[in-house]
Amino acid sequence: MISNDTALSTNKASTGISLAQSADPRRVLADRVEQIYSQMPIGIAGSFVISVIAAYELRQGRFVEIVIFWAGLVVLLTAATVGLYWSYRRSATKATEAAQWLRWLAISALANGATWGFAAAVFFPSHADEQQVFLAFLLAGVVAGGVPMYAISWPVYALYAASIVLPFTYVLATFGNRLFAEIALLIPAFYALNVAVAYRLNQVFDSGYRLRHAYGKLTEDYTALNQRLEQQLVELEEARRQVEASGRKLALFAERSPIAVFEFDAAGRVLTVNPAAENLFGFTAAEMTGQPGTGFMFPGEIADAVASRWQAFIKERKPIFGLRYNNLRRDGSELNCEWNLTPLVNQDNQVVSVIIQGRDITQQLEAERMKQEFTSTLSHELRTPLTSIIGSLQLINSGVMGDIEKDTLELTTIAERNGQRLLDLINDILDIEKIESGKLTLSPEVLELGELITESMALNRGYAERFKVKFATSGALENVKVNADRKRVHQIMTNLLSNAVKFSPEGGTVEVSMERVDGKLLRVGVHDQGPGIPEEFRGRIFGRFAQADMSYTRQKGGTGLGLAICKRLAEMMGGGIGFFDRTGGGTIFWFDLPVQE
Amino acid sequence: MPAQPLNRICYVEDDEDIQRIVRMSLERVGKMTVEVVSDPMLAIERMIAFKPELVLLDWMMPGMDGPTLYRKMLETPETKSLPVVFITAKASQRELDELRKLGAAGTISKPFSPKDLPTQIRAIWSALP
Repeated sequence: MISNDTALSTNKASTGISLAQSADPRRVLADRVEQIYSQMPIGIAGSFVISVIAAYELRQGRFVEIVIFWAGLVVLLTAATVGLYWSYRRSATKATEAAQWLRWLAISALANGATWGFAAAVFFPSHADEQQVFLAFLLAGVVAGGVPMYAISWPVYALYAASIVLPFTYVLATFGNRLFAEIALLIPAFYALNVAVAYRLNQVFDSGYRLRHAYGKLTEDYTALNQRLEQQLVELEEARRQVEASGRKLALFAERSPIAVFEFDAAGRVLTVNPAAENLFGFTAAEMTGQPGTGFMFPGEIADAVASRWQAFIKERKPIFGLRYNNLRRDGSELNCEWNLTPLVNQDNQVVSVIIQGRDITQQLEAERMKQEFTSTLSHELRTPLTSIIGSLQLINSGVMGDIEKDTLELTTIAERNGQRLLDLINDILDIEKIESGKLTLSPEVLELGELITESMALNRGYAERFKVKFATSGALENVKVNADRKRVHQIMTNLLSNAVKFSPEGGTVEVSMERVDGKLLRVGVHDQGPGIPEEFRGRIFGRFAQADMSYTRQKGGTGLGLAICKRLAEMMGGGIGFFDRTGGGTIFWFDLPVQE
Repeated sequence: MPAQPLNRICYVEDDEDIQRIVRMSLERVGKMTVEVVSDPMLAIERMIAFKPELVLLDWMMPGMDGPTLYRKMLETPETKSLPVVFITAKASQRELDELRKLGAAGTISKPFSPKDLPTQIRAIWSALP
């Protein structure tokens, strides 16, 4: 496109000659050859008629046989020339082999000239004066007549004329007549003049053809250029329509968005705002446009901090998500807002503008705070009475307060156990709540897992004894170091062990094993001799409030949250949890922890 | 580890039921002498009078919460070197860490087992420098 433009302007600025030079010389030659051949019928016919008249006139001299021979030669030559013309017309290589066709034409012109040269050399000396005049007139005529015929290629003409003039001059010079000798001197000059005219005509034709071609090429270029321009205009128009449509769409998105949308320049001034932004801050778009954001959006005490944060952001040119700030409304009230900042960067890596989206999260934060307060209060308010209930019952049941009657002790034991169950439920609910709100933090440390598991088993042995179940280890518990939270590993173990105990038959044994899996994980297994996990329960066993049968809650206790918590805890420590059937009955529950190398 | 065994404890707690259980646990199971204070505003005064070896503070109390009372104790010359153990049902790990940094000797979470409470407190006592 650009190079075309340059070519065009160069052409326009330069002269016709340089324009003509830009034409393809082969095409110019082909055109010239075409022109010569197109004149051939006239030349053939003219030459033939003149020859016939000449033969008729010359028949009365001596050497009639020679005249007849010459006439036969002319007929043959005419036939050959017609053949050449015919072949050229039918040829498919007119343009590509123009030089060859020109050579054939030169031979034909030479032959044509030679017949006249022959006539001059043979018939001039042998005929009477009037016939000599007639012949001289004819010869001058055919030499002059060759100019328009062959001048398009001057060498062809020069050959043609030379083949007539040379023998004629020779004859005149050697005739022995002074006048003829003088004419013989003039003829070369006449020849030179004619060739010069032919040469000049040749040049004129040549530049004419070149110009024609150059203009033809120029016109083609212009046409192609025009077509391309038109095509590009159509494409541009289409692109403009698309941009306009997507612009309208974007504008609509911003306008109808319940989220405040701002466009800022790199200096932190407002360029555009949407209606939600007007609502959020209580200013109109016109009031905000052109203002620095730090001037009206933030309470005075944080404006400086915001300004330096903005500088850092413009320097980094990276999007920011979830930036929280206290913002100021027109009426002076404060809002908690969450902002996303997206810089629009140009090719030179400079920030052109920044798209800022924000929403009011005051209510959300308030709700979060209230939920947290509720959970915390619930935790305190429920645990405080439970402390009294369980504490009192423990003091009674432990016998510190003196001996109690057997039936009474049975009842207070039931009360203590159920108090404990209620407490477990509260603890589990609080744990789940903490895990799901992302507030549960672990305190990982490097631990000897073997020791920790032995400790867990010791802590739960009392519980197992109540169910007349024994604990045992299956294989050695190696002391491998893991990075985990001690309290939470105990929590998982307590859950798995108490489940295993609850579902084991009286007198059964719960076995604990430890093994490496994949080299990087340590797997702890708790093997029970229980009834196994029902098929329909397997998919949701790690879900919340999951128990195989609601009646288990009453029979076996438990909240149905234990395994859900264990799963999340194991995952938070970089491990996993699962179970499989134990050969010969029962289930193996396992959890993995990453080995500390 | 302190030279003498733990004997005198001051317990600041507003809930009367828990006061009683803790008193029974510490006196009957732990064989200690216990001074229970219901009103945190009067706590420092009573501590100065009673001269405990260790103070148990409830976390949440009307009028003044445990941490505030602890900070007040630190400002009072007679009580500032007393070891303090918090009994709490709600503190977050971050708050507990903060109190430890201030110098609290330990924490016991509610609900505690009255059977084991004296042992727990004695463990904290023996871990003191």
